Amino acid sequence: MSDERWERLDQLLELLTDEVVDRLRGEQENVERQPIKLQESSHGALEKPMRDEEPAPTTRAEAETPPSGAGVELPASWAPEDSAVQESSAPPTVSKTRGEGGCDPEPKPPSPPTPHTARFLGRLALGLFVLIVAINIPFNRHGTTLATAMPDRRALVIRDGLVVKEEDEPEIYIFQDGRFRWISSLKAFEMQGYAWRDVHVVADGFLEPYEIGPPIHLIVKCNESPHIYRIEGEEKRWIVDIDAFEEAGHIWADVEFVSCEYLRSLPDGQTIPPGHGPPPQP
Amino acid sequence: MKGLSIIETILRDRKAFFLEIREGKRLGEKMRALVISSVAFFALYGAVMGSSHSLWQAMSSAAKLPLLFLATLVVCAPTLYFFNLNFGSNQSLGQNVALMLTTITVTSVLLLSFAPVVTFFLLTTSQYQFFKLLNVGVFSISGIVGVTFLSYGMRIVSYGGDGGVAARRSVVWLWIILYAFVGSQMAWTLRPFVGAPGLPFELFRQLGGNFYANILASIGEILGFVTVR
Repeated sequence: MSDERWERLDQLLELLTDEVVDRLRGEQENVERQPIKLQESSHGALEKPMRDEEPAPTTRAEAETPPSGAGVELPASWAPEDSAVQESSAPPTVSKTRGEGGCDPEPKPPSPPTPHTARFLGRLALGLFVLIVAINIPFNRHGTTLATAMPDRRALVIRDGLVVKEEDEPEIYIFQDGRFRWISSLKAFEMQGYAWRDVHVVADGFLEPYEIGPPIHLIVKCNESPHIYRIEGEEKRWIVDIDAFEEAGHIWADVEFVSCEYLRSLPDGQTIPPGHGPPPQP
Repeated sequence: MKGLSIIETILRDRKAFFLEIREGKRLGEKMRALVISSVAFFALYGAVMGSSHSLWQAMSSAAKLPLLFLATLVVCAPTLYFFNLNFGSNQSLGQNVALMLTTITVTSVLLLSFAPVVTFFLLTTSQYQFFKLLNVGVFSISGIVGVTFLSYGMRIVSYGGDGGVAARRSVVWLWIILYAFVGSQMAWTLRPFVGAPGLPFELFRQLGGNFYANILASIGEILGFVTVR
């Protein structure tokens, strides 16, 4: 290669190098200038080139918040703008298109909120729904659920018809006319229209401050026998005569009719009043 | 899930949300979403409250709790609207209702966030009065946060107008007190929500007494001064 050609090649390389250096410098200057543009403009068109290139670093709320007195007295310059408000919930592609149009003087809209809160809220609601269903499913024949499984050592509203049982005692009491009355048999309990789920287990000694009334007995007879019996626990007690019947505080309306077979199946207890020999069978 | 995104907007970008209400943008759509989400959340929380008594009580409370808040809103909305008008506000009734719905939606979201805590206490304690007071506390906290949203939203939405900004702000706070009174009386009227352990299930209990006396009695019982009968 001749010297002349080498010189020409050198010149071309120098030109090429200068051009590359110039371009690199220009790009660097652009990069350095852009943050300054952002600081200078909160409303103007200067911000527009940024919009198409990279996402806004702040949310709309931060960008619009006045320097002082935020949320108390809004300065006039802070008046809201329709399209900006609309953009807050619009997808990002919309604002980009408008920015490219070059005629939108508004500040960059906020990036749309990430949907994980809504997703979490939905899952929480769903989980809670499942939990509510789960704790309300009865798990025994008395209809007890997890939600109502805790014993009733809580304040009860004392009112007529309240049925309680002290934790370590077998007797069941019902509140009637300002006093608790012992229900003397399961049959009487059922005849009163109660079920086991109505019984509130209370702490031992709960009944101590209350007046205890006469017990509630089941008075029964069967059609084929003239004798009247009182059921106490699992026994039947023969009431020997009308005087004893009235003396015990019973009235004819208390007498329930049952089958004679049922009465015969019950073991005999003491007569009322006691000491009247073996009771007759119905 | 789409309906729930409005809650995300309220919690994360409330200023933009209130600006939209100020401009009357998509009010109907917003109100629909607010009603649906708040009813769902109130229903869930109501079901948690009623579960301490029975399944029927859970279902009843799930229906009554949304009714309580929506009925209170209906009762109180005209007062806020007309008093604001009187003091130079240019808001429509729809904007007022949207703001109030925002309040009860925020309350419902906070109640939902408390629901796991309340469920935990439901399963691990058995004292009725404690459970009742726990719920009163949860409602108070959620309600207070909810009405602060109303106050904030009202400042943005009613910005401008024909003067009387300070007066309108006072109106809002007076209205919030009224809202609390109406809400508590409405709750007393629609009770029971928890269901007293000694009583059978009732959809509505006979009127008598009042909310505040009952709360004081419950506090007294927890502290051992009185027994609620």
